[in-house]
Amino acid sequence: MVRSLKLREQAAFSYLYDHYSSALHGVIQQIVPDPDVSVDVLQEVFVKIWRQIEQYDPAKGRLFTWMFNIARTTSIDTVRGKDWRNSQKNNSLTDDLIPLAGATQPNPIDDIGLRKMVHSLKEEHKVLVELSYFQGYKQDEIAQMLNIPLGTVKTRLRAALLLLRQQVKL
Amino acid sequence: MDIQAYIQSGVIESYVLGVADAQDVAELQRLRFEYPEVEAAIAACEAWLAATARAGAVPVSDKVKEQLQHTLQNEFAPAADTTATNPTSLLKRMNRVRYFAAASVILLVASATINVYLYQKYHQASKDYIALMNERNTVVADNGLYQTKLRQMQDRMQLMAAPGMLKVSMPGTPGKEGNLVTLFWDTNTKDVYVLANKLPKAPAGKQYQLWALVDGKPVDAGMLDDCTDLCQLKPVVKAQAFAITLENTGGSPTPHLDQLYVMGNVKS
Repeated sequence: MVRSLKLREQAAFSYLYDHYSSALHGVIQQIVPDPDVSVDVLQEVFVKIWRQIEQYDPAKGRLFTWMFNIARTTSIDTVRGKDWRNSQKNNSLTDDLIPLAGATQPNPIDDIGLRKMVHSLKEEHKVLVELSYFQGYKQDEIAQMLNIPLGTVKTRLRAALLLLRQQVKL
Repeated sequence: MDIQAYIQSGVIESYVLGVADAQDVAELQRLRFEYPEVEAAIAACEAWLAATARAGAVPVSDKVKEQLQHTLQNEFAPAADTTATNPTSLLKRMNRVRYFAAASVILLVASATINVYLYQKYHQASKDYIALMNERNTVVADNGLYQTKLRQMQDRMQLMAAPGMLKVSMPGTPGKEGNLVTLFWDTNTKDVYVLANKLPKAPAGKQYQLWALVDGKPVDAGMLDDCTDLCQLKPVVKAQAFAITLENTGGSPTPHLDQLYVMGNVKS
C-alpha cells in the first residue's frame, strides 16, 4: 500500500480514501464539530497525506496512526489558526485558560468516541486531555498554565490516557 | 529499567495519540529497538486507536472524493501505470522476472552443453595432434636412417667396383645348389667382404663361418651375421678358394665339411 502510494498510483489513493475517510472524519469532527468545516478539513488532510507520504516512516508506526496525527493537528490548526501550534509567543496562554473542559467548541459532539470517554474522567484528568489532545497545547505549556510541575502533568496525562483506553476494551 | 512499568505508565498511549513531548518520544524510540515488548505494546496501542477511530467513524458524501481526485488529478502517476491494480502489476513484474530467470537458466544449460561438446572436440583434436607429431617424429627418424643406409650402400658400391677388388662367386655345393654368396677381396688391403645373395637364415644355436683355403688347408676367416648387406670379415693374405660352413654359434676351429653350403675358387 505505502509503496503504491509513493509510486503515485491513483488506485492506491482511492483505496486509502475508501477505507479511512470516515474514520478520520470522525476524529476531525471531535475537534471541529461544524460539518461543513470538518469536510473541508478532511479534504485538506487527505491532500496533506498524499503530498507528505514520503515523510511517513514505517519504522515509526502504522500508516493509520500517522494519518490520524495529521488529521488531529490539521483540525487544531483550523480551530486555532495555522501558526498557533508553532508559535513561541504564548502570552495569550492565560486568556486561553478560559475555554476549558470542552466548553470552547461550539456543540462539541459528546456522545460518541473519545469525547464521550473524556467526559467520564475526573476533572484533573479531563483538563489535561482536553488541553493536550483537543487543543494542542504542549505539556510544558500546560504545566505553566495550570501552575503545576511538568512531572505532574506527565504522570496525570498518562494516567488519564490509560483510563481512556481501558474504557474501550476491543 | 523496569520495562513493564514503562509499558504500563501510559507513555505509549501519549505517544500514539500525539501528545507526548520530545523527550518522551526520543526515549521511546530508543527503547522500542531494545525491547521487543515495547514494540509489541506500541503495535497493540495503535491497533486500539485504529479500532476506536473506526468505531467513531462519520460517513462522508461521495462528492468529497470526486473533489479530492479533481484537486489531485495532476499528481497521479500516468494512467498506463495505474490501470493495473497493485496485485496484478506485481504479478506481471514477478512473471517477467520468472521469464528472465527461466530464459537465463536455459541459456546457461545450452552454453554449458556447447562447452562440453567443444571441449570433447578439443580434447580429441589434441590427442590427434600428439599422435600426428609422434608419427612425424618417427618418419623423420626413419628418414634419417634410410639416408644413412643409402650413403652406406653408395659407399659399398664404390668399394665393390673399385679397381683391385677381386670378386669371388661362391655357388651352392651339391645338394645345396640354390645358395649363392659373393665374396669381395681387396687385393691391396687384404680386406674381405661377403654378400649373402641367397643363404638360408642360420637356425638358432648355429652360425655360418667363412674359411679361406690356403695351400689346401682351411683357415678361419670370420663369422657371418646378417650378410644380406655387405659384411666385412677377417682379412686374408693368401687363399686359393673360400668356403662357408654352418657351425655352432661362435664358430669351430676346424670346418665340418658335411655342413658346407657354398664354395668358390679365386680366379687368378
